Amino acid sequence: MTMLLAAEHVKKTYRLGKVAVPVLRDASMTVAEGEWVSIVGSSGSGKSTLLHLLGGLDRPDADSGPIRFNGADLRAFGPARQNHYRNRDVGFVFQFYHLLPELTVLENAMLPALVGLSRLRWLGERSALRDRTAELLKTCGLSHRLGHRPAELSGGERQRVAIARALINEPKVLLADEPTGNLDVRTGSGILDLLAERQAAGLTLVMVTHDESVAARAHRRVRIADGAVEH
Amino acid sequence: MYAPLLANRYLTSRIIPFIAVAAVALCVALVIIVVSVMSGFLDMVRESGKTLIGDVVVSRDITGIPYYEELIRDIEALPEAEAASPIIETYGLLQMPYGTSDGGSSIETVQVWGIDPATLDRVTEYRGKLYWAKPTDEAARTMLPDDPRLDPMYQRQAEGFALATAEGQPGLVTGIEISPFNRRTTDGSYRTESPLGKQDAGFFLPNTSGATLTLVPVTDRGSLGGEKKRRFAIVNEFQSGVYQIDAQRVLAPIAVVQEMLRLDRAPIVSPDELDENGRPKVVGESPARATTIVVKAAAGVSPARLRDAVNACYSQFVDRKLGERGLRVLPPPMVSVATWEERLADLIGPVQKEREMMRILFSIVYVVCAALVLAIFWAIVQEKTRDIGILRAVGASRVGVLWIFLRYGLLIGVVGSMLGVLLAWGIVARLNDIHDLLGMPAATWLKVLAWVACAGGLALTVRGLVRASALHTVFWFFATVALVAIGVALTLHRGFLVWDPSVYYFSRIPTRIDLFTATTTMVGGIVFSVIGAAIPAARAADTDPVKSLRYE
Ligand SMILES: Nc1ncnc2c1ncn2[C@@H]1O[C@H](COP(=O)(O)OP(=O)(O)OP(=O)(O)O)[C@@H](O)[C@H]1O
Ligand SMILES: [Mg+2]
Repeated sequence: MTMLLAAEHVKKTYRLGKVAVPVLRDASMTVAEGEWVSIVGSSGSGKSTLLHLLGGLDRPDADSGPIRFNGADLRAFGPARQNHYRNRDVGFVFQFYHLLPELTVLENAMLPALVGLSRLRWLGERSALRDRTAELLKTCGLSHRLGHRPAELSGGERQRVAIARALINEPKVLLADEPTGNLDVRTGSGILDLLAERQAAGLTLVMVTHDESVAARAHRRVRIADGAVEH
Repeated sequence: MYAPLLANRYLTSRIIPFIAVAAVALCVALVIIVVSVMSGFLDMVRESGKTLIGDVVVSRDITGIPYYEELIRDIEALPEAEAASPIIETYGLLQMPYGTSDGGSSIETVQVWGIDPATLDRVTEYRGKLYWAKPTDEAARTMLPDDPRLDPMYQRQAEGFALATAEGQPGLVTGIEISPFNRRTTDGSYRTESPLGKQDAGFFLPNTSGATLTLVPVTDRGSLGGEKKRRFAIVNEFQSGVYQIDAQRVLAPIAVVQEMLRLDRAPIVSPDELDENGRPKVVGESPARATTIVVKAAAGVSPARLRDAVNACYSQFVDRKLGERGLRVLPPPMVSVATWEERLADLIGPVQKEREMMRILFSIVYVVCAALVLAIFWAIVQEKTRDIGILRAVGASRVGVLWIFLRYGLLIGVVGSMLGVLLAWGIVARLNDIHDLLGMPAATWLKVLAWVACAGGLALTVRGLVRASALHTVFWFFATVALVAIGVALTLHRGFLVWDPSVYYFSRIPTRIDLFTATTTMVGGIVFSVIGAAIPAARAADTDPVKSLRYE
């Protein structure tokens, strides 16, 4: 069985001027389809770094092993395939929400769908897309906030918008970087419930957290330490 | 499909695009105004030279060109030439019709031009420069209601075109600045005053009893003849717009000047032989002469081409004359043939130098403005680096991201540039009014308004202090300082003349927008807006999203 996502001996080094900071030395992990994996590790251990690499938002070192999606090496992707990967194949939820401040909640949530549409198709699918996004936001508990700007939302509400945005294109896998990290326990568990629901419906879920109780809800847990993944 | 949405949101949900539009508009307006006024001024200097002397000038010293009528016929037969007119240039003394305070007459040293008005009008715009004439409807509209030229009586008396009075007495047309009773006012118009100082009591130079012109003939051997005096009616005044000319030149009928300078047609007598009547025997004829021939080029012919054609024409003319039998006077083998630019080199030379200086200055202004526009967009887009990271993270392509900011820069550039052109046009078209306004002390209501605004600003500053609002306090404090400065300036302002006609040759500031400059500056404004927006956007679009997202 091919894994949905696989990192094989991945290396990532940050350069600060002349100083090389090796963050991932030899990180390998796999994610099977439909699985819920959580990545734990101390702060600064490289959890976010690994997740970014899996999401195609950053590139591993030149002498690193491959990162594979359905068996295909991300590094071999051309620009168009790479954009498609980010847009359709994975959904990404950032640690710090990263919403566009000028767009409303509704527009933020449907941004990835807009990115994939030509002007012509947009004209045809505009209202259907709006309905679909509004429906999704409703399941995220945001039906009363559609016209608001991110600045007018609480942290939990922003994270829900970010999750809706990650899910709008119905990706195969959701990569979530501490989705509950900045939230109180109750709000956090509400969001986890939402993700669990999706996961039960067939979504593959990779979640970074340093909260053991959160990690406990996953099927499987991997730990990053010293730039490597311990299973 | 996200590009239009985001470009519109960036434009409408923040104040910075409006500041950018204003900045682009001001930069564009600044460049257009500076370039238009300065190059308009330089063009006026040049063009006025051209309208004064035609395209090409054939000239010789005071001994003149003999057989000039024939030469003019030859020149006018050239396909390159449209018209030619003879002139005699010399210097003389003009005894004015009014006295000095100690009882003598006032005498001016003048440059005398003997002209043939009818043919000169075909070469230059001579008729249009006569001051006392029935104004065109357009000119009449810009005249003050009490301008004497609007009075039909003066219009009837304006007979300068004939250069003679109705009674056939030879007339003189003087430059408008020659009479000290013609005062140019700050708005560039003339106030004609009587010697008694009474404002415009029907006195103007052509109304007077006339003036006496003294010329000194020079023989072709270079010795001076006895001076010739002649009384002329002053039939009109002319306003060329070039101060030096208006303050020096008088125009007289060419025949009269020829006669006074002994350049007219005359018999040549033998020094020792006598005819049957016992008078000295006539052995030939000395032809009339002109010192200068001004030539107008045919449509589409450059002055340089006309000059070469006239040069060739003159050689042929000389050859023909040498072949004629029995001529006692032969044309000089060489005359000077120069284009108006060459001829007016002393006037145009500095202007040309100034123009080059200006080009350098314009380039600096242009570069500064371009840098400003670039910097503004750079700052705006740089601030959006994180947004670009987000867009790239959700799969937006480089081109798509770039397109957002191209639209953004393009829209601001187009709107700003067009506003800038409008602003420049408005200011340049009203420049003389603005200048006239500066020439007067500020109106009382304006001063009162300024000081009331100062008081208001002070009150708002105090209110800001009381309410402990740093923003209000700081804003109104600086506003009050600015208002006080304006109030003081308005109160002290007594009116000043920036554009002194006697310094700048011209009575009016040029108010023509230079179309080329307007177009290029507008395009430049748009291009630099787009570049300024596109480069940082392209840089951000190239960066891995994670790096852009870390941008704070
Ligand atoms: N762009 C960068 N340049 C230099 N160093 C970086 C960069 N990004 C991350 N790092 C370093 O890499 C290390 C791992 O960072 P990362 O964000 O992956 O940690 P993390 O495990 O997600 O920590 P946390 O739990 O606090 O989010 C840190 O020491 C960090 O300083
Ligand atoms: Mg992290």
